Amino acid sequence: MIQFKALLIKELREAFRDKRALMVALSMGLLAPIMIMVISKTMIKEIVDNPPIYVQFTGAEFAPKLIEKFAVNNILQFANVPEDEKYAWQERNIEVDIPKDFAEKMLAGKAIDVVLRADFGKKASSSPIRRVKEVVREYSLAIGYKRLLVRGVDINLLQPIVLQEQDTALPTSNAVMVSMFLGIYLLMGAFVSGLSIAIDSSAGERERNVLEMLLCQPVSTLKIVLAKMTCASAISVLSIVIMLVLTTVSVGFIDLTKIGATFSLNAFSIAALLLLLIPLCFFATALQLFFSFQAKSFKEAQSTVSMLIMLPAMVPFAIMMIDDKPEWVNWLPISGQSMLMEDVFKGLPVDWAVLASTTAITVAMTVALVLALAHKLKSEKVVMSLS
Amino acid sequence: MIEVNNLHKSFIDKKNMVKALDGLSFTAKNGEITGILGPNGAGKTTCLRTLYGLLKADEGSVLVDGINVLEDPLAVRQRLGIFPDKFGLYERLTAYEQVDYFASLHGMQGAKKKAAIVQIFKDLEMEELAHRKTVGFSQGQRMKVTLAQALVHQPKNFVLDEPTRGLDVMSTRVLRNHLAKFKEKGHCILFSSHVMQEVAALCDRVIIVSNGKLAAQGTPQELCDLAGEKLLEDAFVKLIGSDEGVAA
Repeated sequence: MIQFKALLIKELREAFRDKRALMVALSMGLLAPIMIMVISKTMIKEIVDNPPIYVQFTGAEFAPKLIEKFAVNNILQFANVPEDEKYAWQERNIEVDIPKDFAEKMLAGKAIDVVLRADFGKKASSSPIRRVKEVVREYSLAIGYKRLLVRGVDINLLQPIVLQEQDTALPTSNAVMVSMFLGIYLLMGAFVSGLSIAIDSSAGERERNVLEMLLCQPVSTLKIVLAKMTCASAISVLSIVIMLVLTTVSVGFIDLTKIGATFSLNAFSIAALLLLLIPLCFFATALQLFFSFQAKSFKEAQSTVSMLIMLPAMVPFAIMMIDDKPEWVNWLPISGQSMLMEDVFKGLPVDWAVLASTTAITVAMTVALVLALAHKLKSEKVVMSLS
Repeated sequence: MIEVNNLHKSFIDKKNMVKALDGLSFTAKNGEITGILGPNGAGKTTCLRTLYGLLKADEGSVLVDGINVLEDPLAVRQRLGIFPDKFGLYERLTAYEQVDYFASLHGMQGAKKKAAIVQIFKDLEMEELAHRKTVGFSQGQRMKVTLAQALVHQPKNFVLDEPTRGLDVMSTRVLRNHLAKFKEKGHCILFSSHVMQEVAALCDRVIIVSNGKLAAQGTPQELCDLAGEKLLEDAFVKLIGSDEGVAA
């Protein structure tokens, strides 16, 4: 116990004195709320507000009333675009052509072809296009209804069936985006925060020639591995706690219900998230130590371990893509946590059985990695590569 | 007391068998300074690493105070003060913290540990270094810190792998005085070196290792007589049978 305490204190001392590594470790936590704020804000703005749209009308003079209707809905002439937005709207290049014989055909009750020309595949144009279509449809319908009304026809006859849409998905797709982003961010936090410290305390020590001295001491390699893992994991847990706390605070400033997001980070969900993520932090550092202890140099360790960061980024996406998930996906580290986090964000009750089994498997894999590494550190291969 | 019996060790390097130790045997007694001499690649470091239990011998045994290193490496290391082949410092720790760390690894704690650390800093005349971070220490200062952390638990046996490498005269003298003091207290000191004058001046017994085998042993004078040379250096070259590696 004296030995473990000494090992741990030394690791923590070194970690906290390595200002740069510590900054990298905690910067993710400190940046999280800002990212969440910015992303949600832009999303809310896009969805809720009706920002002005600038359209290049040709033949506007032929249909003044339609243009008026557009203006009411904040769809304006391109000539009025403010200087700072000019480039963006030029890029989107949304054109509406009104034919010369608009008034004539209207009087005659014939169909009028109004042309909407734009790149329909462009994401930035999709919302303006939707709004232009909507206005034209409404205007057209209003005139149509009036025509029927003056002929004494009940306009309800035109709608024999009214489809009532009831969306049972709790958060809308945009809320899913925000919560998925937060989920991936938390997973990344668990993986990345302790990374530099894990590499420094393994491959770094080997390169600084202090590992041999440590291995010559009357201390078991298991204790060494445990101390190093505990230290690096402590840093990533710290980073995740900061991330969660700051996110909770910052989310309070945004009205997420506007985009249909129902998740709130209360004490219970934070506790559930920590319960999920803490074992993952240990798993991540065990994995990182395992690979960086085997690397021949600091640089090699860095490149090998950097590949591990891909895991938390890719796995949630991969899971999203698979429609029929096999059940074992629930239990594996990263994928299990990722799916449970989704439930927490949706406000669904936590499936404790799945949580327990995922945690148990994560812990078991961590233990296996630690034991394997402790065994490896005793091997001659490690000693031989010291010099 | 360190007893090395018939040590064999081979490494497989790219499908080639390299025999590092080929039946090496010697004894380093308490109250004596034993020097291991040998050209580069003779197997000195391999022998010492086997002694710490970092490497496992293919055949033969190492006993430290009667304990077999294969059977209980931790107990053996508890009795050893080790000054390894390559030593580095934890540059973000102060010298005191570093020595404290190694003292704790040897199971020391409380007032006893503190007294031991203060004592070793005093013995090595390095009190003014104690609370400085070790980054930027000179080679001599680094050697002192390494020596302090190897000796803080007052080991009965003391193993040094080329400790004077890169040291100036002053630091070498500090080291030499310290070793002499330990010898008087009845400790067993084993050290490897390339520097003949040093071995001649310091060692009670010299073991010459060549090709993983014992080439000769005895006091420096005995070795000179055996080879019929006046200088230990000439005796050494004659005894290992070539002048390869002596320049290093």
